[in-house]
Parts: sequence; structure tokens; C-alpha cells
Amino acid sequence: MAQVTLYHWEPNANSGKPMLALMEKGVQFDSHYIDMLNFDQHKPEYLAINPQGTIPAMTHGTRVLVESTAIMEYVNAEFDGPDLMPANAQDRWRIRWWMKFMDQWLAPSFSMFGWKFFVGPNALAAHGQDKIEAQIARIPLPERQTAWRKAVFGLFSEAEMAESGRRIGVGIQMLEAELGKREWLASDQYSLADVNGFNLAYAMPLSQPHLANDEVTPNIMRWLRAIYRRPATRECWKLGRTPMASRVEILEQDYIPPRDESEGISSGVR
Amino acid sequence: MAMILYHGEPNGPSLAVLAALGESGVDAQCRRIDLLAGARHTLPDVTEPLARDMGVEGEGPVLVVDGEAMTESVFIAQFLDESGANTLQPKDAYAHWQMLMWCRRITERCAPAAAFLGCKASAQPVLAGMDEAAFTALSTTIASEDLRARWTAVRAGNFPDEQLADSVTKVTDAAKKVEDQLADGREWLMGDLTIADFETYGWLAGMVDLVPDAFAGKDRLSGWLARVAARPSVQAALARASVPNPQSSWAPGPEINRWG
Repeated sequence: MAQVTLYHWEPNANSGKPMLALMEKGVQFDSHYIDMLNFDQHKPEYLAINPQGTIPAMTHGTRVLVESTAIMEYVNAEFDGPDLMPANAQDRWRIRWWMKFMDQWLAPSFSMFGWKFFVGPNALAAHGQDKIEAQIARIPLPERQTAWRKAVFGLFSEAEMAESGRRIGVGIQMLEAELGKREWLASDQYSLADVNGFNLAYAMPLSQPHLANDEVTPNIMRWLRAIYRRPATRECWKLGRTPMASRVEILEQDYIPPRDESEGISSGVR
Repeated sequence: MAMILYHGEPNGPSLAVLAALGESGVDAQCRRIDLLAGARHTLPDVTEPLARDMGVEGEGPVLVVDGEAMTESVFIAQFLDESGANTLQPKDAYAHWQMLMWCRRITERCAPAAAFLGCKASAQPVLAGMDEAAFTALSTTIASEDLRARWTAVRAGNFPDEQLADSVTKVTDAAKKVEDQLADGREWLMGDLTIADFETYGWLAGMVDLVPDAFAGKDRLSGWLARVAARPSVQAALARASVPNPQSSWAPGPEINRWG
């Protein structure tokens, strides 16, 4: 079988999706850790593989694939192992709908909060403004440069932050309601939507402790713990190298009480 | 399983899904609704409205199956294809990934831009002409706060120059992408006819009049537009129009990327 290589950052958000999908399918792959905050993704050796400089990317033989959700669909279709898409066409539609909703509407809002309060300040502290400015200037796509500047330097307006906060609240309520309808997010079997959703939501009890806990979102907590118990999830999160990945250990607690919003955002654990 | 497809005038995502329905051979009842009257938000017999209420696509078509409102034109097209003839998606996993990536380029970059320009040209006068009470009544039926804000912006004529210029750029990029993709003489975007052809056609066909420079001198693009238009499925979709030029019918679409 042709060699599979995955270029990824932490098991989190976009990188974590294909990592966990490959683990669930039992596909052997070469793991290449890309240190995103050291801008490894914009270095010539990585741009030779993915000229867009986005993470993750996967190579399968001579094939190069990008975009985390699309990579997951490829992984599921191409390789043997448990099917992460159900046979029913309407279930498959629902899975695709949820993945797009999370990728385009909900995740960017979580991401804005994460960068503003955690990732951005950490990157600045580690590398300094001048080095980061120089590295952003080398990014090929202009709109990615804009996004990176906003992210690293926290250049989000109050209106943007408020809108992201609103979406996080709405999105969590939607997840809670949907997980009240069935065991898994978008169908009656564990699917790519759950893999996607876990990567988005696993740290919510830490980052949004007032919105996601065993009192107000019992369905979400049941679902997160069920995914955390899966052997593939355990293996996947071992590939993390920073405190970001260790946040997943919160799911070992049997009961997570509500906490004040300020304990999530300002505590530095985001 | 009874299926009802609620669609706007055959343009944009409604056209893409109507064409995919025609190719699929699936038996679904088609009902044209007036998107700019807010009809999409008051559909009868919807027991699972979530995807209609919170879909990213904005005022796209809604396929109601067993009470569940299904949205997002690419995914509805996939559902119809998989429920019917199964001819519109590559069987090879990598070719399928390429088709999905193409569709994402269109839905994430071209579609918000086309909807923005289209709404400025044709939806704004309609919504601006509504009296305040009627618009308020309409907007209260829209569950999504951000979609409601896009309706309000269209009615107010709030089309910032920077976003207009960016939208022209994105439509121009999409037109060039089609022209380049056809450089090897292929008939359809992915080689064989796929959902990508209909999704791309739906968003681009109405841009020929609004952004003519994007299409000027692109012979392969022109030929492809004519080939897609000639498909019986597209002709049947266009025959459902209630206006002479359905390609100038627009309603609020996907939002422009908040990350810039």
C-alpha cells in the first residue's frame, strides 16, 4: 500500500480531524509534527508539499490532499476499517451539514476566542513581534496574511468578539439539543461528524465552563466522554506536544460543575 | 418517502439543486417559492427546521424529507445523486476529494461574492420597496440572527465599496479557475459531468451580465456555460422560472468570511 504521511499540529481543531480519522480507521501513517507557532507551515520544505501553507496536509503515495474535513472523507472512502459514514443517504447529508456548520460558522468563533486569549499571546511571548511579522509577510495568500495578523495580534473588534461569543453560545445549545435526539451527533452511528465535533468541543468545559458542564449540557458531556474513552482518541491525543492537548484530560472527571465565565477565559488554560 | 423541493427562481443554489434533481431521476415534487417574500422561513410541515434555520448558505433551496428540512446545495445534490442515478460524483476517492475541494472553492469564495453583487443589483430595490411593517414581520420569521442581519443590510443598501471590489475579484477568480480547468480540452470541470458543474454554473451564470469583464475573452468558459445550459436537466430547471431572466433573481446568500 502507498505510504501515508500526515503533516499536522496539535490534536486539536483542524489538525486533529484527519489524525483521529486515520486512527479510527487503523491506517498506519507517518506523523510529521508542524510547529504552527514557529510558522513551520510557511517554510520552503512544507510549501513544497502544500503551497497554500495550510495545516493539515496529507500525502498518500503521490497524491497530496488538504482541508481537514475533505481529507477525512477521503480517508474514510479510501481505506479499509470501520466505516465512519453510514449507509443511509439522509444520514450522510446530516453529517455533511453539521461538518460544514461547524467548520464555517462555529469553529471560526471558537478560534477567535482561542487566539485572542491563549494562542496569540503565547506566540508573541515565545517568538516576539518582529520575527512573527517577518514570517507572516512570507505567507503566499494575501487573505491568509490578513487572518494571521488578526489572529496573532488579537486585532478583533469588540463587535467581532461579541458576535463570536454569541455564536459560541448558540452553537453549544444546538449541539446539546442535537445530542438529545440521538447517541451521536448526526446519525445513530459514530461518524466523521463526531470526529469533527470532538476536535471542536473537547476543551469547552475548560474554555466555556459557564456554558458547557454537567449541569447545563449533560448530553454534550456524555458525548465527549464517550469519544474520549475510544482507544483511537487516546492514541491520537498522545501525539500532542503542548499543554493544549492535555486539556482533554478534563474529560476524566465524572462530574464537571458550572464555573464562572472568567475562570475559563482569563485562567490561561484555554 | 415523499420529497418536496422548495426552490427559488432557477438561479444560484436553487438552479444547481434543480439540475441535480433532474440528473438523478429522483421523484420529488418541486414547489417554487418567493425567496424575497421570506417564504423559505414559513414552510409547512417542517418538523426538523434546524438546517433551514441555521444553514450557512442563506436563502438556498430546502428539500423536505420526512419533515426534515435539508439545506446546502452541494449536500442536497449529493443526497439526490446517492438516492437516484448516482452519476454525478466520481467513484475514485481522490477524484471525489477534488470535486469536493472544487465545490468548496465555489461555495466559500464565489458564492458569497455572487450573492453580494446579485443582491445589490436586484434584491435591494425589492426589499427597499417593502414598507417597514411588512419587512419587520418578514424578518421576525428568520431564526438566524446573522442571516437576518444580511437581509437588513440588503434592504438598507449597505454594500461597502471594499466588499464590492473584493466580490468582483472573487467572481473573476472563479471565472478564471473554470477557464484554466478546461485548458486540457475537457468537456466538464472534473472530466465527467459532476455536481461541481451545476454548483459552479448556478453561481456564475448570473454574473455574466454583472461582471462582464470576468468573462471577456474566455472562450473555454463560454463554451462550458453553453454546454451546461444545454443539459436537459438545466433546461427543465429554467422552465420553472416565473420571470423572463431568472439569472437576475437573487436573495441573501452566504456571509462573506469573517476572518477577512
